[in-house]
Amino acid sequence: MKILRSWLEDYTDIPYSDEELAERLSLSGTAVESIEKGIDDRVVVAEIKRIEPHPNADRLQLATVSTGGQEFRVVCGAPNIAVGQKVPLAQIGAKLPGGELGKATIRGVESVGMLCAADELGLGDDHSGIIILSDTHIVGKPLNHYLGKSTIFDFEITPNRGDCLSHFGIAREAAALLDKQIKREPMSVSTISKKVSDSLEVEIEKTEICPQYQARIIENITIKESPQWLKDRLVSLGQKPINNIVDATNYIMLDLGQPLHAFDAEKVGKKIIIRKSKKGEIVETLDGVKRELDNKTILITDEKKPIAIAGIMGGQNSEISNSTTAVILEAAEFDPVSIRKSAKLLNLSTDANYRFERGIDSGSVEYALNKAANLIAEISGGKILSGIAKAGERKKVDAVKIETEKIRQLLGLNIRDDQIIHILKLLGFVISNDNCTAPSWRRDINTWQDLAEEVGRIYGYDKIIPVKIAKSNKPKESGYFFDELVKDILKKNGFSEIKTYPFLSEDDIKAAQIKASSLLEVANPIQQENKYLRNSLVPNLLKSVAKNPSFDQTFLFELGHVFTKDEEINVLGIAAAGKDAKKLIEVTAKDLLDSAGIKDLEISEISRDDLGRFKIRKPLTYVGEIPLGKFADKYLETNQPVLKINTDKVHYRQVSKFPAITRDLAFIVDKKVKPDEVTDMIYSVSDLVNRVELFDEFTSDKFGKGKKNVAFHLYLQMMDRTMKDTEADTIIKKIVNKINKEFAAELRK
Amino acid sequence: MIKGSIHPITEFLRTAIKVFRDLGFDVYEGPEVETEWYNFDALNVPAEHPARDMQDTFWLKNRKVLRTHTSNGQVRYAETRKPPIKAVFPGTVFRNEATDAKHETTFTQLEGLYIDENVKVGHLIWTLETFFKEIYGPDAKIRLKPSYFPFVEPGFEVDVKHDGKWLELLGAGMVHPTVIKNMNLDSEKYSGFAFGLGIDRMVIIKYGIEDIRHFRSGDLRFLKQF
Repeated sequence: MKILRSWLEDYTDIPYSDEELAERLSLSGTAVESIEKGIDDRVVVAEIKRIEPHPNADRLQLATVSTGGQEFRVVCGAPNIAVGQKVPLAQIGAKLPGGELGKATIRGVESVGMLCAADELGLGDDHSGIIILSDTHIVGKPLNHYLGKSTIFDFEITPNRGDCLSHFGIAREAAALLDKQIKREPMSVSTISKKVSDSLEVEIEKTEICPQYQARIIENITIKESPQWLKDRLVSLGQKPINNIVDATNYIMLDLGQPLHAFDAEKVGKKIIIRKSKKGEIVETLDGVKRELDNKTILITDEKKPIAIAGIMGGQNSEISNSTTAVILEAAEFDPVSIRKSAKLLNLSTDANYRFERGIDSGSVEYALNKAANLIAEISGGKILSGIAKAGERKKVDAVKIETEKIRQLLGLNIRDDQIIHILKLLGFVISNDNCTAPSWRRDINTWQDLAEEVGRIYGYDKIIPVKIAKSNKPKESGYFFDELVKDILKKNGFSEIKTYPFLSEDDIKAAQIKASSLLEVANPIQQENKYLRNSLVPNLLKSVAKNPSFDQTFLFELGHVFTKDEEINVLGIAAAGKDAKKLIEVTAKDLLDSAGIKDLEISEISRDDLGRFKIRKPLTYVGEIPLGKFADKYLETNQPVLKINTDKVHYRQVSKFPAITRDLAFIVDKKVKPDEVTDMIYSVSDLVNRVELFDEFTSDKFGKGKKNVAFHLYLQMMDRTMKDTEADTIIKKIVNKINKEFAAELRK
Repeated sequence: MIKGSIHPITEFLRTAIKVFRDLGFDVYEGPEVETEWYNFDALNVPAEHPARDMQDTFWLKNRKVLRTHTSNGQVRYAETRKPPIKAVFPGTVFRNEATDAKHETTFTQLEGLYIDENVKVGHLIWTLETFFKEIYGPDAKIRLKPSYFPFVEPGFEVDVKHDGKWLELLGAGMVHPTVIKNMNLDSEKYSGFAFGLGIDRMVIIKYGIEDIRHFRSGDLRFLKQF
């Protein structure tokens, strides 16, 4: 959620820099995801003078824009530009959220700057078109003169903190950190003598779905554009201004967190009824979609017809139009669970339902209604009728016992009772003796543990002293330790551990000839790869064999869960392909039996047909698969395996999409030279060395006294293209020279 | 003889588990296909609560889920045991989302749970500090930021200072009394802490790996480097 610093400052003075404020808020529970500084001065208001088609691209246009003194020609892809419009022009060098703008040649035409959509300026996510500025913006002025002057903080508000989904809510948090409590200004409403009660009443069918509903009527309004200051604030936060009435309701929602809705009063009867929908009832919403409802959606209706889906979206039949002269302004509280269910069912996500689902301030419904009514009257010339049509009331909240001793104990903080009470008061809690009542904007306070969090986050978790945990005996080794032992045995035998996805796609089950009916199926996969759960490790092992054509020998294993409709079991799968595959996999099976008691691991050769379906080009491929559970139990009865930690140095090198060139190098070196030292040195010669593998090391007198042979496989690659043999030769030459020099080595030919 | 290799996630988990093992933690692995109860309800994440949207869940046609966190082990492990309860739960967890260099459907977590009388936030801080000093060296520091996970109260986002930078590495908190009750334990008598470490992210940071999808690629050019 985006928050303007200047708007926060309407409520409280903030003596911190942007970064300090962000850090303090993050450390007390309202996490700032990013800070957008105001828009760069080099983004200016420009007027479009001419538009011509791009000579080389149908979808692009060439716009010539003026900044007063100068004209610039820019390439533009947005369809919404027209001659005479005022638009934001980012000039060369402007620092934008996407980086610094440079000169660009687009399809053969130079573009001297860029016309900007909202997202390109960091004003929200909209990329549907260039921002069209108002006539009152002066050509040549920096855009930040009008909008984007203030820093924008982007908050990630956790679902329990609906009270922070507004500028007032964040200002209240910021004030508490400054040991201040901000109160709302009292709100008086000047009304005319005509009464709301003469033309409107409200009835709530069940207060469980709608605890409170209030409405005011404002007459004699003129629908027009909002004043510049209001539009600028909305645009700065990525909202599109629509008209003064809709803008005012959006503004108050961003201001106070209370969603509001305005109906055209002439299109609504004399009574508003809040009820659940009937199955099959149809409502056409503001977006023009006819929506068929279940029997649980909360509806706003008049005597005859639904006029809105409560808390989610208004109905088209009561929409504000340019001819609207009177509005019914609604502020209400709806049941969060019902709103969430309906929004999900309708697949709608609006700023309103987001706030209702998280709980609005039940104590400020009327306040928000009054503030919005005043704003509408001010910017539309409207007159507010006296009185409020209302039904229901704010629900009572249960008191929570403060339990200061338990709070101290749980946090491990030396904090006095009076400090605890002070923090709770600062946050708006009402204290009476040992009990407190949460303020109307907090819906997440039910237990003393919740109070402990409030105290801790304001007092500062950094003041908690670490406490050592009590010693205890090592528990018996579980199946995990057996699995790790099995992995070590396989590694020793030349196998590499893979971890694959536990999913199978339609293509996978076709290749593996598995019946879909035997598999667990994902109900809502976003990607087709994630349709079924595997009942065997073999398909993914074979896919991995196929993925490694550059290795003459592909020896792989995986330990993982497989699934049938009845059970989930832990299984070992191994695959060996290439030279000596059969012999090596049999030796390994024997070792698994001898070292871990894994019996009856059957090895089978993959048929030609199967190899074809999995696109494996190595003719001899063998696999085996076996559940581990019973062997683990047996082994652990009498053994206590210890975790082996590998301390070999890792040189991580990115893997290229392009094939590697492999070379072997053997050196005669002094017996005392460690192969790792040679490996490290080879890596240090060039970043294009992807991997160095020792494959041979032996001493022999034929190399001279105290000498030995060390031999390495080298894999060389480039990130952006296939390496040429001559390029590999150059690197190899460098490596040989370096090794010869550093280790007094001699290349073995 | 060709050289075998162990997956970098496996290697890192071993290093991590060894630290907790030396502190007396048991190692338990729960199921990946989980009931709604153990993955959500038992952890105080009710149906129709916005907290359910905090992760994108794979639902199976049999109404079970692919666990969204290894926290499913909390109630499973503790409901048949008596405090002190000290265990870590390594395992694979799932998110139903489109994948790219930074997003994965399938990754690895290590959950920790400690329940006893008088367990406090200071115990959590000590345990995590001890862990990160083992992993990142004696200069490692941690800090708690208030956050929200329905199964803990208070809940924290934990930052770790490593090479002069604060990294957001894990979520943690004091086990929620409702969760303790669901373990068949007296929530007035017992308290505890829990934390969940994202292992993939830590391995990515350790080696500077540029694409999270390498872990499950089966590509030997990647795997044999470890």
